[in-house]
Amino acid sequence: MARRRRDFWWTITVLGFLTVLAFLVYPLVTVFITSFTGEGKRFVLADNYHRFLTHRYYYSSLINSLYLSTLATLGALVVGTALAFAVTRYPLPGKTFLRTAANLALLSPPFIGAYSWVVLFGRMGLVNRALGTIGWSLPTIYGWRGILLVFTVQYFPFVFLLVSGALRSVDQSIEDAALSLGSPPRRTFVTAILPVIAPSLTAGALLVFMATMADFGTPMIIGEGLRTLPTLMYGEFINELGGNPAMASTLGSFLILVNTAALMAQRYYAFRRAFNVVCIQPLSVRRVGRARLAAGTIFTYAVVAVALIPSLTIIISSFMPTRGPVMYVGLSLQSYRTIFHLVPRAIANTFALTALSVVLDVLLGVLVAYLLARRRSRSHAMLDGLIMLAYAIPGTVVGVGLIVVFNRPPIILTGTWMILLVSYFIRHLPYPVRSCTAMLQQIDVRVEEASVSLGVPPFRTFLKVTIPLMFPAIVSGAALAWMTTIGELSSSILLYSGPWATMSVAIFTEVFSNHFGTASALASILIAAAFVPLFLTYRMLGERAALGV
Amino acid sequence: MTRIRVEGITKRFGDTPAINGVSLDVRPGELFTLVGPSGCGKTTLLRIIAGLLEQDAGQILFNEDRMDDVPPYLRNIGVVFQNYAIFPHLTVGENIAYGLKARRVPTDRIAAKVAEAARLVQLDGLVDRMPAQLSGEQQQRVVLARALTIEPRLLLMDEPLSNLDAKLRVQIRSLIRQLQRELRITTIYVTHDQEEALAISDTIAVMDRGRVLQIGQPWELYLTPATRFVADFIGTMNVLRGVVAGPGPEPGEVAVAMEFGERWRIRATGGAGQPVSLGVRPESLHLAPGSNADTAWQSLTGTVTEVVYLGSTVRYQLQVGKGLQVTAEIHNPDFSAMHTVGERLTLWTAAGRLVPLPEERGGG
Repeated sequence: MARRRRDFWWTITVLGFLTVLAFLVYPLVTVFITSFTGEGKRFVLADNYHRFLTHRYYYSSLINSLYLSTLATLGALVVGTALAFAVTRYPLPGKTFLRTAANLALLSPPFIGAYSWVVLFGRMGLVNRALGTIGWSLPTIYGWRGILLVFTVQYFPFVFLLVSGALRSVDQSIEDAALSLGSPPRRTFVTAILPVIAPSLTAGALLVFMATMADFGTPMIIGEGLRTLPTLMYGEFINELGGNPAMASTLGSFLILVNTAALMAQRYYAFRRAFNVVCIQPLSVRRVGRARLAAGTIFTYAVVAVALIPSLTIIISSFMPTRGPVMYVGLSLQSYRTIFHLVPRAIANTFALTALSVVLDVLLGVLVAYLLARRRSRSHAMLDGLIMLAYAIPGTVVGVGLIVVFNRPPIILTGTWMILLVSYFIRHLPYPVRSCTAMLQQIDVRVEEASVSLGVPPFRTFLKVTIPLMFPAIVSGAALAWMTTIGELSSSILLYSGPWATMSVAIFTEVFSNHFGTASALASILIAAAFVPLFLTYRMLGERAALGV
Repeated sequence: MTRIRVEGITKRFGDTPAINGVSLDVRPGELFTLVGPSGCGKTTLLRIIAGLLEQDAGQILFNEDRMDDVPPYLRNIGVVFQNYAIFPHLTVGENIAYGLKARRVPTDRIAAKVAEAARLVQLDGLVDRMPAQLSGEQQQRVVLARALTIEPRLLLMDEPLSNLDAKLRVQIRSLIRQLQRELRITTIYVTHDQEEALAISDTIAVMDRGRVLQIGQPWELYLTPATRFVADFIGTMNVLRGVVAGPGPEPGEVAVAMEFGERWRIRATGGAGQPVSLGVRPESLHLAPGSNADTAWQSLTGTVTEVVYLGSTVRYQLQVGKGLQVTAEIHNPDFSAMHTVGERLTLWTAAGRLVPLPEERGGG
């Protein structure tokens, strides 16, 4: 078994490397190189960077992005951690509802969240018009305040999920020990519990930071001209007066640098602070005073309500009669009739491309995960790192990279559906890879060896034993990939052409042409499409877990 | 029945040799045990025999067949793992049938063989259960049945009892031994538990640091350990040192000046001044004074430092002179034989129960 042969797994290794090199590394390197080209594609050392650093128009985008992401990360950390702590430690009513609702907030893509706030609090928004009838008005939702609100509401569930997971793995004895040694509760939290959950806390912060840095749709919709790196990059690349790929690539290089640096910093920190926590008795629910309990209940339900507002607004408004951005009270299927008449192609494209991409992600993801977990070697560790790079690279950068690379011979993909598929596939490959690797680490290798010793050759053992045991991870990886692919906007908006528009692109264009009704109808379909697989997965995995697999 | 020969097997992990030129000859139908402390290489050797790991040098023969290039799935070996390695997604019956299906045995015969195997390991009536519904001991029975149904040329067992509690351990141990005898399957059994090794084996090989120190039947290892390591590892051994003082009163005997002051006579040859190590098992030391006149008895005197009462035996720790601790075990102790900490006792042993041990530098 240990012999190195050019066997099936060798082929998968090569395939994995080729895929990542062709569709991720090559485009990214090309983006870097493009940032050093001037007019006539000639090499210039730092013209673009010089322009970037000396023109406020350009460098302000970097400052805005860093500023917004940092504040949003802090906001999500505070809200997510507080919610996780309250749900874990306080005897709150309706905990299952709170957990589920916080998860549901992840379902709608951020730009739809942004749009829903515009529907409510925008100039023509429902709330503002209602207040207008009695002569009141609210401060405007547009600009950096709106972006911060959307970012925090959209991304705090990352922190909530990771921190609740970490809190569930802290043993009660740790707290008991600290308390019995004379440390008061607050000091115990800071000195005994916080350090144990710190790696998860930073992992959550990293996810929020990278996602907000990369978010293209939110600042576009609610930012009203506020320039961030992704929106400016898009604007430079797709410009009516002729795009400037070199400057777009320069901006993209900054995005890559910032996100990769954040990723490295977190990895380094978490690696140095990884504790092996053995949890037998998880932290217990504490008895708290009535005032605290009331405060906790109000806080958690308020957070969850705000988190659910976007999806509810979208769904309700999709059934309201509309004229342009103005919605009227009433019930109507007008918007749905319009979209099935107007953009049936976009709906079909989205489902077909997402399904195909998820199938490919799962196929390659399962095989690669097996390599990473079972045949650990230096080259596999490298493959692992390259695949995870897709997490860190914003869609706008991948989009620009793919266009620059596949816009010229030998392979021309621009203008076809394939370039969308490539982007979806490579950007969401990490989900099944992660879920399956984690699962494989829990499956005893001896189970596979037992099968081999009973006369079943390795590859058939993989199919008959390993795959069935990995099944829950395959399903959850596929569900996550599906959920994140179906509403993808930042690379779709660059890569689509003519007949290959997707629902996210259609929503975006409808919002910008002030057709809020049709945008809501499309967004509702998107939210439902993201919800159904996740719901089924929950039910199925719940049953599987009962089998003790 | 298969004879297993392991010839000069060497395996390195990086620079450290895990197995260092090990050779074994396992007779057809016997239960052969590899025993040693953790990290001695016994599991590595087992995995090499199973084909799950490839050796760097040496060869494995089943009867006259060289197995080195045979992949593990064609070796026809039943393996029982420490953590059961049960297939959690298959029923008990499907687990047992797994190897038969791989051999394309007809369905009706599979059903019959599964029922037969389930009966052998006393699991009849549980074939439709899922593994998660079984206790650890029942899971181990499933894995045993699964390994036996393929009628393997060789059965390999890697610490099969280590996850069970003491009572069940004894039950499963006798079940394994009984099935192995009935089916006459050559078996290689790995354990770190010397008591288990003594109880179950036809032949035992004691391993340490990738080498085999001694191979023999259980009582040979216990009564005549070849090295101090074996003496310490199999049971408890008091090691007493001395120096040959001169020839003894009888031919073939020498007088030895023991480190604690007594002068002992042992059956050995050797010139004056030669250092001697003698092993004495705790149960070979007696309280009842033998006849002083009987020159076959040797004595030592010490202070009781610890008394452990275990019901059928009482174990005394004695401080004999400076820095020498001696353990003695008295069976069926009665009231008159009970002593307390601080008492001075004289213990006796028969010369025939002394085991000359080779001097080892930094031994064990």
